[in-house]
Amino acid sequence: MILTPKILARLVAIVVLGVLLQVTFFSRVALFHVSPDVLPALIASLGLLGGSMTGAVAGFSAGILLDCLLIAPLGGGSLVLLSTGYLAGLFRERFEITSAFLPPLLCALATLFAELGFGAVELMLGFDSTISTLVVRDILIKSVFAFFLGWPIYLGLKRLLRPAIVEEPERRTSRRPTVLGA
Amino acid sequence: MLALLVVGSFVLLTITYGRGSDGLQRGVSAVFSPVESVTDRALKPARDLINWFDKTFDARGENSKLRTELEAAREQGVGAQTALAENRELRKLLGLDRSGAIPAGYDFVTGRVTVRSPIVWFSDVMIDVGSGDGVAVEDPVVNGDGLVGTVTAVTGSSAKVTLIADHSSAVSAKVVPAGSQGVIKPTVGDPGDLILDFIDSTKRVGVGQAVVTAGWRSQGLYSGFPPNLPIGEVTKASIEEQEAQQQVHVEPYADLRNLDLLQVLTGGSRG
Repeated sequence: MILTPKILARLVAIVVLGVLLQVTFFSRVALFHVSPDVLPALIASLGLLGGSMTGAVAGFSAGILLDCLLIAPLGGGSLVLLSTGYLAGLFRERFEITSAFLPPLLCALATLFAELGFGAVELMLGFDSTISTLVVRDILIKSVFAFFLGWPIYLGLKRLLRPAIVEEPERRTSRRPTVLGA
Repeated sequence: MLALLVVGSFVLLTITYGRGSDGLQRGVSAVFSPVESVTDRALKPARDLINWFDKTFDARGENSKLRTELEAAREQGVGAQTALAENRELRKLLGLDRSGAIPAGYDFVTGRVTVRSPIVWFSDVMIDVGSGDGVAVEDPVVNGDGLVGTVTAVTGSSAKVTLIADHSSAVSAKVVPAGSQGVIKPTVGDPGDLILDFIDSTKRVGVGQAVVTAGWRSQGLYSGFPPNLPIGEVTKASIEEQEAQQQVHVEPYADLRNLDLLQVLTGGSRG
């Protein structure tokens, strides 16, 4: 990603707006008793568009802001979201996004990863309660929501950050098999 | 760079864990608090629309169940009215005549939920009243249905309420009228199912009994909650579970998934 002051300002606005919308809107609506979590999808989309470092920094910033707004111990949210952004960016650097279904699918996987990550951080810090099996259901439904919400998020961000996105290399044409001895 | 961010996260986590809100969080929270309030109000119609769909799905299945419950409730209502009148008289006699919802000696501050944690492992909300309104850490929080949680952090204009469904929550409670006492603990991921743990296995607890805060005080130690705040109703109380694990299941009166207006009980003596 080519970072100019204008693009940087857009990235900051995207992260701030994303976190604000999450805590004031998405966390407070429910379908099938589950609230969507768009932050992992947003951070994964930024990673897919801008690469691993963009994803990691955006994830770290979003996590810090989230922890500040919720007055939670700082660092837990940023650790999980920076990993999410970094892994999404790494995917983009290693593989080609060949299908339109891939970004939303990766957003769903990112949400699954992030929710499990938040649980792992909590377990690391000490956890003394019974865990309902409904947690698994909630996490899976959140991932499904992320699949459907990830699509517009990815396309919206792609449009918003178009000037900064490094063009993807052209698809490699499949090599002809070399026939030995021919 | 990546290593720096990861190390930074761990350092922040180590420094801030268990310390409550620090200067940075207070500052950020103070800056964003008005923005959150405006966003919250602006998005309320959209939120209500989506939540309406969710509730409609539920209502269809619960219609017949509710009709049966309504008949039973009507019968109980007559008895409750008599008990309420009697209770009012007794309260007057004791000089504790208040509205009934707020325990004696407490004032209340009404706040609106502005922010909710998106993570399934936490049950925290932020409300738009803070230390400037008289809210302090450890103040109990209720809504029209019953106990909701406790204030765990405050800034000038906002406060963090940790709900009774959060994994860090533990509320000393008693079953009425059986009198069996225990600790209400959550089942993480299911805010509709609390566990009343460490109960006396010799006293039988039955389905439908009410659970209220115990509000004890002993040798300088005290419960953070005043006595007799309604918490919920026993929904599952098998003899095996009571004898082997000394616990019963409780459904909270308050709908912890859909909270809007909350009352923080300020002042008052604890326990």
